[in-house]
Amino acid sequence: MRLEAVGKRYGLRQPWVVRSVSLDVLPGRLIRLEGRNGSGKSTLLRVAAGVTLPSAGRVTGRPHTGYVPERFPGGLAFSGRDYLLHLARVHGLRGVAAPRAVDEWLERLGAASYASQPLRALSKGMCQKVAIAQALLARPGLLVLDEAWTGLDQAARGVLDAAVAERVADGGCVMFVDHEQARLAGRISERWRLDESGHVTVVAGDEGRSGSGFGSALEGVIVIELTGLEASSAALLGGLPGVLSIDSGAARVSAGASDEVLRQVLGWDGVHVTAVRTEQPERDTR
Amino acid sequence: MTALLRYQTALLLRSNRWIFPLIAYGALIAVGAAGSTPLAEGLTWSAAMLVPVVAFLTRSMLLVEPDASRAVVAAAAGPAGGPVRAQLAALTAALGGGAVLGIIGAVFTLLTSEPAGSQPSGGVTGRITATIDHPAIFAAGLATAVVCLFVGAAAGTLCNPPLLRHPGAAALATLAVVIAALAANVSPANAALRGAGPSNVTAHWPSPLSFVAAVALLAITWTASALAAARRERSLS
Repeated sequence: MRLEAVGKRYGLRQPWVVRSVSLDVLPGRLIRLEGRNGSGKSTLLRVAAGVTLPSAGRVTGRPHTGYVPERFPGGLAFSGRDYLLHLARVHGLRGVAAPRAVDEWLERLGAASYASQPLRALSKGMCQKVAIAQALLARPGLLVLDEAWTGLDQAARGVLDAAVAERVADGGCVMFVDHEQARLAGRISERWRLDESGHVTVVAGDEGRSGSGFGSALEGVIVIELTGLEASSAALLGGLPGVLSIDSGAARVSAGASDEVLRQVLGWDGVHVTAVRTEQPERDTR
Repeated sequence: MTALLRYQTALLLRSNRWIFPLIAYGALIAVGAAGSTPLAEGLTWSAAMLVPVVAFLTRSMLLVEPDASRAVVAAAAGPAGGPVRAQLAALTAALGGGAVLGIIGAVFTLLTSEPAGSQPSGGVTGRITATIDHPAIFAAGLATAVVCLFVGAAAGTLCNPPLLRHPGAAALATLAVVIAALAANVSPANAALRGAGPSNVTAHWPSPLSFVAAVALLAITWTASALAAARRERSLS
């Protein structure tokens, strides 16, 4: 999926909430959106999920998408199960696949015993489980979670974490916003930082550092920025396995070898690592 | 699209928001059926009353779904054009509901009006036989109902979210546009209804122009509504 010069504003005379975002969303990535309240995280998620069209630019190549909104108020006259059955069919599941997927997710999220109650009678947490279940029913290629963990009990939060891991392991992409800084820590492939003016800067995630990542970090290129590199140390660095190229103050290292390269470099006197990031063709969209 | 239509129809049925339009339509038809009216005139009346009923049924449909679940469905209906398809499904569900009401109204009118033809014949069977002898009268009545159905749906689409978001203004505008659609000369519904005489043997067909105009109005308002839904602003509430 690709975002091409995407901008969004709510009305012609309104300020741009998000502007000129050009980014590739690669399969198997877990992307966390960060920014202050009102910085446009939810808006960018909505545009990415296809809930709303961008005001400028376009989104191409979007896979099948599951979207969990910030608040799912229920308020519908369906029972949880009936709602999910309808949504399963809207998601494209046919025949027995629909009830099977519905029952599976109700069970996994611990909502099966409440599924026959009308949505408007359910608690906030239960409604949230229904919203999460519908997004996961069809195993979407893109999963978009807008503070989806809020209101969930401990067990369901764990289930959602596991479901995210499954999507990523399946080669799907997951984009999320959460107020909890530690959410899915150690597994995040990219962090998209939204600033006040609506621009997005991509920084490398923390996946691979803690060893609890999903393994997809072993593809792609990691850029290690350094200072104090001299001819001798540069030659030494160039000789390490996995180092692709070195130019003024930055080494491009294949992701599988980046941990070992870092470990070596950190031991050298006079050489300092100033940044580590995932290589992005259009890293800064400004 | 089938799954979306089923979802939207179920949403409308379970919300009970169809009850008011149904009762209103029943009352309006009953008023028209009071006294003895010829079949053609009765059918014209029941067609005309579809305009407000379908407009408000469309309004109900457009208001029934909270923004969050609308967003969820739009994403599910994707990956491209999801919000547009979801909106068109909602509008189609309301139109379908109106069509069902229109058919019920036409059949009720058939059973209660003066029978078609010059020979008065009593009883339900007599009325049905008389209608079968003069099929054009009933067919023309249905054609008029279709024009009114489209005009009513267009009015409801135009005057409600996402095209008109202000809650109070939307209700009043729906009412005003419905009255204008029935009363103003330029309205295709008015054109279709005009000139229905008390004749009991001649069919009263809507003009082709009124039919074309009704289809055009529906196409324009639906397109605008679907695009507005896809570009949807944050809800005002």
